[in-house]
Amino acid sequence: MRRVGAVAGVVLTVLSLAGIAAVASGAVDPGKATAPRMEFVPPPPGSYKLQRIQRVSDAVLLDSTGRTVRLSALTQGKITLLTFFYTYCVDPLGCPFAHTTLANLRDRVRDDRALAGRVRFVSVSLDPTHDTPAAIASYGQEFTIDPKFEWRFLTARRVPELLPVLDDFGQDVSVDMDENGRATRTLHHMLKMFLIDAHGDVREIYTLAFLQPQVMFNDIKTLALEAG
Amino acid sequence: MRIERRLIVSCGVAAIMSIAAIASYADETCNSPYMTGLIKGQEDFVHVWALGVPGMGDGSDKLVTIDANPASKTYGKVIHKISVGGRGEAHHMGFTDDRKYLWAGGLDDSKIYVFDVGTSPSHPKLVKTIDDLSAKTGFAGPHTFYALPGRMLIGNLSNAADKGGVTGMSVYNNKGDFIAKYDMPTSAIKQIKGDGYGYDIAVNPAKNALLTSSFTGWNNYMRDLGEVVKDTEAMKHFGNTMVMWNLKTMEPEQIFAVPGAPLEIRWALPEGQNWAITATALTSQLWLIKRDAHGTWAAKDVATIGDPAKIPLPVDISITADAKGLWVNTFMDGTTHYFDLTDPEHPRQTYSKHTGSQVNMVSQSWDGRRVYITSSLLSKWDKTGKDNEQFLRAFHWDGHELTPAFEIDFTKEQLGRPHHMKFTANPQRVASLLGASVR
Repeated sequence: MRRVGAVAGVVLTVLSLAGIAAVASGAVDPGKATAPRMEFVPPPPGSYKLQRIQRVSDAVLLDSTGRTVRLSALTQGKITLLTFFYTYCVDPLGCPFAHTTLANLRDRVRDDRALAGRVRFVSVSLDPTHDTPAAIASYGQEFTIDPKFEWRFLTARRVPELLPVLDDFGQDVSVDMDENGRATRTLHHMLKMFLIDAHGDVREIYTLAFLQPQVMFNDIKTLALEAG
Repeated sequence: MRIERRLIVSCGVAAIMSIAAIASYADETCNSPYMTGLIKGQEDFVHVWALGVPGMGDGSDKLVTIDANPASKTYGKVIHKISVGGRGEAHHMGFTDDRKYLWAGGLDDSKIYVFDVGTSPSHPKLVKTIDDLSAKTGFAGPHTFYALPGRMLIGNLSNAADKGGVTGMSVYNNKGDFIAKYDMPTSAIKQIKGDGYGYDIAVNPAKNALLTSSFTGWNNYMRDLGEVVKDTEAMKHFGNTMVMWNLKTMEPEQIFAVPGAPLEIRWALPEGQNWAITATALTSQLWLIKRDAHGTWAAKDVATIGDPAKIPLPVDISITADAKGLWVNTFMDGTTHYFDLTDPEHPRQTYSKHTGSQVNMVSQSWDGRRVYITSSLLSKWDKTGKDNEQFLRAFHWDGHELTPAFEIDFTKEQLGRPHHMKFTANPQRVASLLGASVR
């Protein structure tokens, strides 16, 4: 995984992957993708209220050891940042970018005494067939090396068991087809991260334009202050 | 314009059962900047939210889908329509962040219709009707639908109590559940008093900025325009302010005096730009809202549109993707104007054309080569007699001249009064995740 530095203030423009052009029709040009910009001073933690966007529905998934785990056990009890990923993602502004952003955020959370033991990250694979428990364990090794911070990698037994989770979070996914109508090995989904409070309510959603680490950190602190 | 990025990932997925219309790449320069799938090329379909007219067809408000791809056999034809079973003053629409659903509002009955346009954009389906806006918020007249991640921010025009212009914004999640409401400010911020009125919403995520404008309430927009104009008291009840909000806190931070009902707002979203633009309906001016070096926003009038003394009534604007040009439609004189915005402090009109006896919405393709115009403003404000043309007109734009491409006569086809337009495109050879069989 390639590390990308802190996002705030960074103006990073990356050309679209060649793979995207292959997906689009001739007339469609997805153009350039850019990293999120942050040209403001974020409001301090606790000075605002985050909306209660939706409650997370429960589901049964697999952890990186192959054990079944209830999603509710990993979206309640702590402040949770949940995202979806693929182990094979190569998009510089896709999964690698998301996980690098999370890794940097984890370091800040870990260094904040008020947040110690109160925050976890959860990464859920969108590809249960390829991303077996062993595969996500291998992928997640880089991120779960710190035993003091809970970062869980999850997958599902089968695609049908994952679909209700995707539907609940409003996470769209599609598979490219070739000219003969056969599925290729390329997937699309809109990058989203979900900030969930200790009661299991989604309180903020970050798409690429909102992956602003300082704002995300302040949001986590805001939820911690709200809980007391 | 920010483009929400789709991830491209190599993966192994077993077993595909069905091909689904999921990925669509769409146009427009006026959508929420973090919505996915902006169309950069040829749009395939134009969806028109049309007001029902008593005695015309089924008389119901309806979503009309028109084939807009010149390569198609049904180019320039109505290929689908879906009535909502009532007449509630159909007006504006907005996509959800994933562009799979189109929310459309009624200014009279305050209902919100959710259409699935992602599964099959040529055949939208009505999947949900939200009718608790007034009960949950006290607001009425849902106007602007602006996608936030996982939810919809709605700018309203009125309130259910006195049907005046004091209103606010409401937030629903993408499932259609109410989340929050925010009143438009009525007190003063830095000596400028808010009027509490609402209209358009526009967000700049890089600046944590949410800008709103102001129009008028149900009492005026559902009343005959001729009567309103003659009623001195009624004419006092139009918005004269814009508000800059802190998007994260949803608190108003600055109020700007912008006389004459500032309507549509467009941000210049290319990197390095720090301004938005709007047009005032009653005073016929372009206003620039710009941030100075100290981070303070200010509003100032930078150009006139037509002859303000004749009240041409600018009603819609459409900014080019590079923010260097702006289309403006003036309703009363049926004129489509183009302004050069290279210097946003000094916009210059470089082109104009009479495009109908009455013209309202104007939408352009991302590449700026196609411009679409509809005719209806409001059911009680449209012209009468032979001037009550109701149409969608598509034009080619070569940078110098608007050339007709096709036209739909909504009266002849018994479709009603066409108002807001949104574009979609056919899916690009994609399948659903369920059951993918990978080579």
